[in-house]
Amino acid sequence: MLKLRSGIAALAFFCLSAPGYTADPLGVGRQMLVEDNPGDLFVDRGKKLFYEKRGPNKASLEQCDFGLGPGKLEGASAQLPRYFSDTDSVQDLESRLLTCMDRLQGFKREDLIKKAISSPLSLGSDIENLSLYITSRSNGKKMNVTLNHQKEYDMYKAGEYLFHRRSGQTDFGCVTCHGEADKRIRLQDLVNMTDKKQIQEVVATWPAYRGAHDTIRTMQWRLSDCVWQMRLPDLEYASDFSIALTTYLHYQGNGAVIKVPGFKR
Amino acid sequence: MKTIWLKWAALGASGLIAAGCATYPDQASTRRIAEKMVSEGFSTTPATAKRLVQDKSQQICSKIGDAKLSQEEAAEVVKLARASIQYPQSGKLVGDWKTGDKLAHDGAGDRIRNGKLEARKGNGALCQNCHALAAGEVNVGNVGPSLTGFGTQRGNSAAIVKYTYEKIYNSWAYFPCSNMPRLGATGHLTPEQITHMVAYLTDPQSPINKK
Ligand code: HEC
Ligand code: HEC
Repeated sequence: MLKLRSGIAALAFFCLSAPGYTADPLGVGRQMLVEDNPGDLFVDRGKKLFYEKRGPNKASLEQCDFGLGPGKLEGASAQLPRYFSDTDSVQDLESRLLTCMDRLQGFKREDLIKKAISSPLSLGSDIENLSLYITSRSNGKKMNVTLNHQKEYDMYKAGEYLFHRRSGQTDFGCVTCHGEADKRIRLQDLVNMTDKKQIQEVVATWPAYRGAHDTIRTMQWRLSDCVWQMRLPDLEYASDFSIALTTYLHYQGNGAVIKVPGFKR
Repeated sequence: MKTIWLKWAALGASGLIAAGCATYPDQASTRRIAEKMVSEGFSTTPATAKRLVQDKSQQICSKIGDAKLSQEEAAEVVKLARASIQYPQSGKLVGDWKTGDKLAHDGAGDRIRNGKLEARKGNGALCQNCHALAAGEVNVGNVGPSLTGFGTQRGNSAAIVKYTYEKIYNSWAYFPCSNMPRLGATGHLTPEQITHMVAYLTDPQSPINKK
């Protein structure tokens, strides 16, 4: 009897906490229709882009090393950002893609960056589709960012510092909106990134299909949008600022089981 | 003897680094590394680059993790906040609640995208993002406490009016490092706009004070 009751209590708790982080009267929850995710269409597009011979050098991306060796995609996203000796820097998936598309395929870095974030209602940029495909090859794998190289430690610590750094005319730091439980900006639930479970949900679900834009979006985009709300100047795509924050967030989310494309409002 | 020992110690240390014994950098190094990222991570103009630079209070208020504000730091933030407060030239702290109502529900202004500053006359006051306002409004945030019935509860005495004006002008004068932006002190709102916010919160006719 006792057992049954605690079972029911556990079930009730599960049901209450599952659909979103907060009770949500209007049903604009963060998790919608995950079964029928239009983002899946973008995975195929990314796959095609990956294997196609493209660019001035007419090369595919099969020789790109994302940290586990050339062409090894299984689990590669799970350990990013990480240090790469050939660039002597810590790179996230998107900045690594820039390196490979430049060095292997001969695309110009500046051109890639200009087009990296597509306009809403589009089929997504090459980098957006590629990021999604490559990350999808880590689906089911656990996020496992390690800090071994000194530059990885430096990145992580810088990310932690930047997460808490307040500036600008709104005095916002990331922590202002992502440091407490059950907070909302208007009706939008704010992820509490100091909570292990919630940060894991975040790092496991990017790139994501974004309903409001009807296209695929990456972590670089998400960061630039929050920076825009903070009223800071334009964040540079693949800047160390963004990679430091991603290193910090991904490391905090270690252990999360990757499941992309995520589905966001 | 001493020099030999030193040599060995130096050899040992470089060996450790070569063997990959990486560690967390100290606070000063982290700060230097991260601040460089800030100055290199954005495309700016001389005017917008200023937004990236922290003032003294922001530096104090950027504590990492569970680090606590010391009493001296809190006192300094309050002192700087008090010194920042400017009053409207007219001397009148209560403006027009209708204008305040509009501003309270306006979250736009001064954002930058692709190098372009959002084209607008003035900034929205952002209140709705964080505070419950008139009773029954659903699309409101909860980063700050509810302001529903603010004037009904506090009245509109000169002391309350002055507190409300100063709180909105620089919230840190009353609560150092709070999550509420220092809307007047940072220049997001003008003193005149803040008088409209005061009216919106304290006027008995304002929707915020109706049932
Ligand atoms: C003024 C509030 C605010 C600030 C400051 C802010 N964010 Fe956000 N953030 C939001 C909101 C609102 C959303 C959700 C938007 C949505 O649902 O469309 C969000 C979403 C996110 C997400 C995606 C969460 C998910 O659903 O997976 C990440 C990651 C993120 N923010 C990181 C940051 C970082 C890093 C910073 C600092 C550089 C930051 N944010 C600053 C408001 C903010
Ligand atoms: C980004 C979030 C945010 C925004 C925007 C914001 N506030 Fe606040 N506000 C807070 C928080 C958090 C508190 C509680 C801590 C404190 O007192 O500073 C607060 C407290 C207050 C208080 C003190 C309440 C009391 O009981 O005395 C008043 C008054 C207030 N806000 C008014 C406003 C008005 C008016 C606006 C818009 C012009 C506004 N706030 C915009 C977050 C915000």
